[in-house]
Amino acid sequence: MGNAELKLAPAAPVSFEQEYAIGKFLLMEARVLDEERYPEWLDLLTEDIRYQIPVPLTTYRRNRASTTALKPLFIIDDGFPGLKQRAAREATGLVWLNDPATRHLRMVNNIEVEATDTPNEFFVRSKFLLYRGRRDKDIVSHAGWREDILRQTSQGFRVARRVVHLLERVVMDKNLNMFF
Amino acid sequence: MTSFNYQELIDSEQALQKRSIFWDPAIYEEELKQIFNRCWLFLGHESQIPQHGDFIRTYMGEDDIIVVRGKDKVVRAFLNACTHRGNKVCQAEGGNTRSFTCSYHGWSYNTEGELAGVPLEKEIYDNLDRERFGLVPVAHVESYKGLLFGCFSESAPSLVEYLGDIAWYIDVVTDSAQGGLEIVGAPYRTEIPGNWKLPVENAIGDGYHVAWAHAGAMSVVGALGHGRSDNVLGISANNSGVDQSAAIEVVMNTHTVLTTLDGQSGYALYDHPEPVLAHLEKNRPSVIEKLGELRGRQLYGSETHIGVFPNLQIIQGLNFIRIIHPKGPGKFEVWTYAMCERDMPDATKGVIHDHVRQTFGPAGLLEGDDGDFVEAITHSAAGYATRQLKGFLGMGMGRKAAWDGPGEASPGLVNEACQRGFYDQWRRAMEAHNAHEIIGQTEPTAPLTSILREVRHG
Repeated sequence: MGNAELKLAPAAPVSFEQEYAIGKFLLMEARVLDEERYPEWLDLLTEDIRYQIPVPLTTYRRNRASTTALKPLFIIDDGFPGLKQRAAREATGLVWLNDPATRHLRMVNNIEVEATDTPNEFFVRSKFLLYRGRRDKDIVSHAGWREDILRQTSQGFRVARRVVHLLERVVMDKNLNMFF
Repeated sequence: MTSFNYQELIDSEQALQKRSIFWDPAIYEEELKQIFNRCWLFLGHESQIPQHGDFIRTYMGEDDIIVVRGKDKVVRAFLNACTHRGNKVCQAEGGNTRSFTCSYHGWSYNTEGELAGVPLEKEIYDNLDRERFGLVPVAHVESYKGLLFGCFSESAPSLVEYLGDIAWYIDVVTDSAQGGLEIVGAPYRTEIPGNWKLPVENAIGDGYHVAWAHAGAMSVVGALGHGRSDNVLGISANNSGVDQSAAIEVVMNTHTVLTTLDGQSGYALYDHPEPVLAHLEKNRPSVIEKLGELRGRQLYGSETHIGVFPNLQIIQGLNFIRIIHPKGPGKFEVWTYAMCERDMPDATKGVIHDHVRQTFGPAGLLEGDDGDFVEAITHSAAGYATRQLKGFLGMGMGRKAAWDGPGEASPGLVNEACQRGFYDQWRRAMEAHNAHEIIGQTEPTAPLTSILREVRHG
């Protein structure tokens, strides 16, 4: 597994302070999303972000990695404008399925931080559980893991790259109108 | 024969549909037999399995199906069930293989479906007749210009007969495609808690819901490249001023079409439609030459929703093929494949793939809106009193549009003609005594003989 486009440097030491700050950043980011503060979430991204959710195709091990006519497929493959468009949709007040509001809960853990070749960028793996509660008892959960590039800027950390790996081939949710 | 009063369930004169058809498990069981075991069903596209040994999995009704290209390049389809004990012989959704091997006792089948290997065969069987135990084939598999269909019914009409007049519209998609149509790889798949008929009639004919149900999405789609579109698909953004001349809904024997007639608005929801529009105009003269003025100018490039009964939608413009697989009365899987022309520049294909993902992928801007009401319509019918109610699809009844193509046309896409056509067809299929009656053929009237039945008696 993993994404070929993410070029990893050999793990270089990351200071305890940096690792701690990155962990805090991811928890804060999760809360901003839980609270549906999408404009503020957009502020936590770089303008050159690429955000992808690949479909985990169900293939035999020998057929992995595009060895057949099956090609990689993405549920989301957005740059910043695409993410902004999704956020704008949520803000229209015209998305009936979110009124009554959807309740969100994100848990982020198993955070691993590595240095990269670029001094102010960190490669960060994390695992998540995302629960959504709607209506009376419409509870849906998604578990997965993420590969991020976080960039340290003068305003703090920003997400510059994110690949979200879900475990389910068939999406078991009426929509995926949320951010992981 | 069945015990249901279909006249009561589908009242064509009043355009009423009893809501128990979305809930009743007995009706659903009857659908599996009357519709999914008799109609021609979409399996996939030839471009998904170009080489020997390439295979995909799909469903026909709830039957798990392997579609595979054999050594002789012929495409066959089989029930994904070991003939020994019934375990699945394939657990991957697609790929390339030399054989399908059962994980239970190791029986192995080649790409032509023949039983090729039985562990310890000589020691444990006396002259096992391998020919009896090949994978059970789907009775008929045919390709219509690359679109693969299968049919369980041994005595069914041919695929071309089954498609009938809808082929005239499908040709706009297949014949205009330079190098042929192309579906690369696997579909998006989402499971939704609702009855399978609701997403079908929604996609083939419900122009009414677009501006309201998708109001949030409609105010942001198309906004990235060229600003907000004030008049998308012939519906103004504020849901008034529905233009009766901008579109038609056409009901044919068995199938339906909705189309916008302007030759370009299929791409109205794209954020960056320019490469596709340029390709369209470059290609248009050759399409006119091949298919004539009417199709070349008015249909090619329009938003066109082709509904092939029971569960296939070929949607030009939004540019995807969609199939709805039933999973019990209250659940379905929706499969969405982006479709391109094989010889399009890669960048243009990319625009189409991006757009399909952005609008009707599982996280699509419009896709998520429909799940909510499809679920609510289905599950509220659990209530006995609610289940006695009837839905009303009377919009546009009696409205006729002049139209030189096949089928009976009704003006405007905010219209319920296609949806009425679908439920009338559903009723006819449920009342049919054989596969021919489903498409209105009276002969032959021999009873249905499915391949499954033959195997049982063989």
